[in-house]
Amino acid sequence: MKIVNISGMRGCGKTSLIRTLIQRLGARGMRSAVIVNEDGEAAYDPAFLQNHVVAAEFVRGG
Amino acid sequence: MGCSLASRLVALQKEIKRNHDPDFLFIEPSEMVVTSELRNVAAMGRRDTVYDIGPFITLVNTPVFEAQWQERPALLGGQVAGADLVAASKVDLSGTEQITAIAAQLGRAGGIVALSTTADRGIRQVLEQLINGRGAGF
Repeated sequence: MKIVNISGMRGCGKTSLIRTLIQRLGARGMRSAVIVNEDGEAAYDPAFLQNHVVAAEFVRGG
Repeated sequence: MGCSLASRLVALQKEIKRNHDPDFLFIEPSEMVVTSELRNVAAMGRRDTVYDIGPFITLVNTPVFEAQWQERPALLGGQVAGADLVAASKVDLSGTEQITAIAAQLGRAGGIVALSTTADRGIRQVLEQLINGRGAGF
């Protein structure tokens, strides 16, 4: 497992980038998980999580 | 970042490694967290768990970078400092000169990645860094 941190101000595109990377990696047969601060939780819909990640955790204030 | 939050993140990293062991664990922190704090958290979990620490990527929002740099230089600087890769996001909404100006302002002579998920720009470079590159400092 390799930990990848994606930082930046709110609205800079962190979630969009992570979603894109997860999908591209998945197409290569690689499995991903996410830890997301609760502000970004809404952008990870259940269908995406179910289809593309093996684990998702949402943390308050993180 | 407070101690309880750092502890929670470390615990989650280890839990995901032990229970799922994915190829990649993406962490998306709030905007108030800076790169040095994330590096510390990533390192803490390795005291009793084996995993790799990949690249620390910082996105700067190209269309509004100038205003954010004026308003919150310490926070933005803290996110950029120590990042393995800095990407100027939403470049489809800005010009080439803005990207050059951001690289100069941030002192990243090595350059920054011009990124747009909408226009599919820069994604391949980021993927290359994830798959074949290494995080600095570890």
